[in-house]
Amino acid sequence: MSEILFNPPISTPPRAPLSVYAHIPWCVRKCPYCDFNSHAQREEIPEARYLDALTRDLELALPEVWGREVSSIFIGGGTPSLFTPEGIDRLLTTLRTLLRVSPLAEITLEANPGTFEAARFRGYREAGVNRLSLGIQSFNPAHLKALGRIHDEREARAAAEAAIGLFESVNLDLMYALPGQDLEQARADLETAIRLGPAHLSAYHLTLEPNTPFAARPPALPDDDLAADMQLQAEELLGAAGYEHYETSAFAKPGARCRHNLNYWTFGDYLGLGAGAHGKLTFHDRIERQARLKHPKAYMDAVLANPPGHIAETRALGRGDRVFEFMMNALRLNAGFDPRLFESRTGLSIAAAEAGLAEAQRRGLLERELRNARPSATGRRFLNELLQVFL
Amino acid sequence: MRNIRNFSIIAHIDHGKSTLADRIIHSCGGLADREMEAQVLDSMDLERERGITIKAQTAALLYKAKDGQEYQLNLIDTPGHVDFSYEVSRSLSACEGALLVVDASQGVEAQTVANCYTAVELGVEVFPVLNKIDLPSAEPERVMQEIEDIVGIPADHAVHCSAKSGLGVIDVLEAVIQYIPPPAGDESAPLKALIIDSWFDNYVGVVMLVRVVDGVVKLKDRIRLMATGVEYLAETVGVFTPKSLARPELRAGQVGFITAGIKDLKHAKVGDTITLANHPASAALPGFKEIQPQVFAGLYPVESHEYDSLRDALTKLQLNDAALRFEPETSQALGFGFRCGFLGLLHMDVVQERLEREYDQSLITTAPSVEYQVIMKDGTTLVVENPSRLPDLSKIEEIREPIITATILVPEEFLGNVMTLCNLKRGAQVDMKYLGRQVMIKYDIPLNEVVLDFFDRLKSTSRGYASLDYEFKEFRADDLIKLDVLVNGEKVDALALIVHRATSQYRGRELVSKMRELIPRQMFDVAVQAAIGAHIIARETVKALRKNVLAKCYGGDISRKKKLLEKQKEGKKRMKQVGNVEIPQEAFLAILQVGDK
Repeated sequence: MSEILFNPPISTPPRAPLSVYAHIPWCVRKCPYCDFNSHAQREEIPEARYLDALTRDLELALPEVWGREVSSIFIGGGTPSLFTPEGIDRLLTTLRTLLRVSPLAEITLEANPGTFEAARFRGYREAGVNRLSLGIQSFNPAHLKALGRIHDEREARAAAEAAIGLFESVNLDLMYALPGQDLEQARADLETAIRLGPAHLSAYHLTLEPNTPFAARPPALPDDDLAADMQLQAEELLGAAGYEHYETSAFAKPGARCRHNLNYWTFGDYLGLGAGAHGKLTFHDRIERQARLKHPKAYMDAVLANPPGHIAETRALGRGDRVFEFMMNALRLNAGFDPRLFESRTGLSIAAAEAGLAEAQRRGLLERELRNARPSATGRRFLNELLQVFL
Repeated sequence: MRNIRNFSIIAHIDHGKSTLADRIIHSCGGLADREMEAQVLDSMDLERERGITIKAQTAALLYKAKDGQEYQLNLIDTPGHVDFSYEVSRSLSACEGALLVVDASQGVEAQTVANCYTAVELGVEVFPVLNKIDLPSAEPERVMQEIEDIVGIPADHAVHCSAKSGLGVIDVLEAVIQYIPPPAGDESAPLKALIIDSWFDNYVGVVMLVRVVDGVVKLKDRIRLMATGVEYLAETVGVFTPKSLARPELRAGQVGFITAGIKDLKHAKVGDTITLANHPASAALPGFKEIQPQVFAGLYPVESHEYDSLRDALTKLQLNDAALRFEPETSQALGFGFRCGFLGLLHMDVVQERLEREYDQSLITTAPSVEYQVIMKDGTTLVVENPSRLPDLSKIEEIREPIITATILVPEEFLGNVMTLCNLKRGAQVDMKYLGRQVMIKYDIPLNEVVLDFFDRLKSTSRGYASLDYEFKEFRADDLIKLDVLVNGEKVDALALIVHRATSQYRGRELVSKMRELIPRQMFDVAVQAAIGAHIIARETVKALRKNVLAKCYGGDISRKKKLLEKQKEGKKRMKQVGNVEIPQEAFLAILQVGDK
């Protein structure tokens, strides 16, 4: 009797959620510990041209993510708050126009906690940013200076207060084991941050990354034992203040975990736009990592050229890569993962990881139940040892 | 035969032997300019890098002398280091003469003296050459006096030269012709050719370096190796210039090579005599002393599955290094490996480096040890090369250790330091002579003390001026005990040592303290203990690492973090897992870094 009016949707294998990362590659100046793709701003930032480039980048990438819903957007850097609220508005409008962005999407912008930026916060919120991540690092003037930060502690507090009043969710980035820092000073930074009351806090151990000024001329840093005490202190203080320690360096009030980062850590997909941005996308026959050209000018020229040549590298993940990269992310989560998540994200049977999981368990680095594998307390402290099992 | 000269160069390391050899080859047109690689006779990479000569090499050269005649000069290079002194005596026995090359700014050194004595014993004419004469610090008068005082040969006619600039090199060649006698031998007698050296070549099989003493050997001759009686057809006969050049024959007095498709190096033993199958000599030439390894160490693959590949590498290496001995050994801590015998520490070092570099092996080496004679209460005698194999002390009557006689030449101002060092090493002075500004002292010292760090300390305590030569003297009983090392309560056999009771407490304490520094911190505390029998004499703890975490890892650029983890993991590959503890190679050699009180 019936006439077929339309075809039923073709069933597709379950797809990982999709996030978008947009990279803004400039800073006022480069901090001596930083190894991210950021470039000191020497002249006026070519904001409009860069936004043109991001738009073209997205247009070119559309076939790869066609029809997929975007669950989070993260605008990182560099210092994205060097872009005007109008510029950010244009970027988000483009993303919403060309992609299906979930109405509930978490939209984060990284900002420097200076007076100049604080004045723009309202504009960012009006553009659609609902989560602000502030690179505070420390509230101690001497340590801010040692880290080469351009803001001072008063600005940092003022920016944090302003942001917390405006955005649904705010993250403060803190660092510990800073040059010359003692346990008390690390505690003072945490207490100040807790008093400000952001929904989310990140506490990073300052590490000397290769090819940075700090690596070339290492400052006097607290020794490993003191640094370990600082990490424990952070876990205790933040725990007592109601922040749950859910990932190696991340702490959140209930319901305030960073959804964008959780997508990384659960081996979800993300489209990386902008200079030096990395992406990971799952197709029906492969999982692929992509990297864009790093240098801003080279990237812009290449993406706006005809034909475009902004993709520096594309790499399909082999079996071993998938196991290792999944573990490298998922085992950062204190709650670990469900083996079924491993299977749906990697397309492999959990048996592919069994040897490693068993070895990690034997060495006391991993705890396992039927539906869960998670790092043990020792595994969390020796995460690198745990991950190396899967290398 | 009147126009043949076979000669060697005797010199201390750095006194310019290889440079002079290169000059001589160049002057005789042995190699064109473009073929002159610095130090052509040192062909192994290692030799060139370390500036030492390990294997004998030869060059047959033509030289038109000032008397208008053309001479055939055969230069046979000799190693300069004490570990390889057996190679020296082999090279010298193919020669009628030797140039004693002495650095005019430094003077005579102990090994040079020992090599000169070897030459004199073998009836080889020694002729002095003062090298580096153009250095501002050169003191030819003093050095000539030293040669006469210490070596005991006339030096008034010594040739002065600078191998570096080429100055006086022709005078050296003229002296070779004038002072070194031509070979004596009978071309019409049955063939007698001495194998000076032999090695395995992948393309032609065994190459034999020979000195023809009597008779003639031709291409296609059927040759017989007198020690084993095996016969082969001579496939190629020729000389090194140092390039290998085929010749129709080698005659009495000449030095050259023979290949005969020999696959087994044991058939062409160094020191054996080659004769003709259809016209054999009645008696072989006197051969060489069998060389005995003096230093022993365990070599283990870092990864146990690489055992077979290590055995293959050692087997191949042995083809060209007859002095290397090895036999399978099992260690509780290190698994399957080999106990290897070496001529000395440098030899051990060279073997280790060649295994790593040329054969791509990752190795764990145990501390060097010597061979002990253990007299049991039941009257039997055991030979122990591995300290962990020492039987229970209650069953032992006595332990005898090898004693060497060390000859040390040292400038007077460092005499006190050197004597102090020798006493610390349980040495007993047997002789002392003042020879100009240098003093020659002889000490009887346990070899065990010498193999640890004696040479390095001798050099540092004399600011590099003291030189050492030694020879085995005897086995002698002393109050020796076994020092065990425990890691987290487990005895690690590969770390056991045999030491004198008097120094055992101190050594034990120092050893564990050194090991604490060398073992990296791990996920748990690591206890390192030294024990004599059941009695713990020292303990140190490597405190557990508190954490090892990558602070920041966003999805973004995963590859760099991955590299970092790979690097960390790679670092561990150079460590051996003993129980749960990862022990780096250096920690197995910690004893080498322990000083004396």
